[in-house]
Amino acid sequence: MKIACVIPAYNEAKNIGPVLKKVLPLVDELIVVDDCSSDETNLIAKKYPVTVIRHPINRGQGAALQTGNEYALKNGADIILHFDADNQFKAEEIPIVLAPLIAGEAEAVFGSRFLGKANFPPLKRYLIMPLARQLNRWLGIKTSDPQSGFRALKKEIWQQITIYNRGMAHCSEILFKTVKTGCILKEVPIHVTYHHFGQKLSGGFRIIKDLLLQKLSN
Amino acid sequence: MFFSWQQIAALIVIILFAGKLFKQKRKKQINGNEFSLWLIFWTISALAIIFLKPLDKLTTALGLSANGINLLFYLASLILFYLVFKMRLHLARLEQDLTVLTRQEALRQASPSKNPPLKTDSDSK
Repeated sequence: MKIACVIPAYNEAKNIGPVLKKVLPLVDELIVVDDCSSDETNLIAKKYPVTVIRHPINRGQGAALQTGNEYALKNGADIILHFDADNQFKAEEIPIVLAPLIAGEAEAVFGSRFLGKANFPPLKRYLIMPLARQLNRWLGIKTSDPQSGFRALKKEIWQQITIYNRGMAHCSEILFKTVKTGCILKEVPIHVTYHHFGQKLSGGFRIIKDLLLQKLSN
Repeated sequence: MFFSWQQIAALIVIILFAGKLFKQKRKKQINGNEFSLWLIFWTISALAIIFLKPLDKLTTALGLSANGINLLFYLASLILFYLVFKMRLHLARLEQDLTVLTRQEALRQASPSKNPPLKTDSDSK
């Protein structure tokens, strides 16, 4: 069973090296999608035994993930894992996310920061996340983490999903489309170390706007 | 028929824009469809300005409390909102096309790494 990990990276020269070093031993293929970084992300990633794909124009994290998925599927991946380049996720939790897929207990596994002990900034914990969760419930998604970026899905499920949202709305889009496939979905606890705040309240509204625009323009 | 100075000013502006439109068409800067659309728009605008009084009567007959010029402003606002909305959708589609092209180019140039596998825990930088 070939496990590919896709890491979208944009101006992550500071973090990409340590992240790659930790993730490499845990997967069969590592694909870094450099989303037109202006720093040395690309040069640093190329020093490692990983596939580096570079977007000639910055298109956002969702677009980078779709690029990585397409490459991984074309190269025979059986499971595709998404991981962040900012060193906030813990690489040692990759086997925990992969385990249900390998054991055949699930077809899609999402890491949940709410089942673990993530140290959320207050605004994120008490306002943004509850709002996002409510929005997801309206869409029929009942997962505890509405915006998880740490996920692994079997190739059969990825083949049914195309990520259109290039911004942060891709998290909700992937969740929604995964649920829509009717596959067996499982959440596992993950832990996150926040180096910076991440999503602001305005970012939450942008996600709603992006989801609506994407729905209307298709 | 006597025009107020506001109507005359509005008509001058419309004539200027219509003139610019014909000039663009002559220079082939816009296509036939776009030319027709804008020509219809400016013609309707000019007619609405010329027949402002009958428009007032029409507004009253429709049972609206506004007068003709206000009605024109309301309609213009509605049309503008619609056009901005259409443009946002169009822009979203263009963005999507750009992403597809970017991805095709990125994947075309992608190749697996030739670096040897990591052997030790030390950073290979």
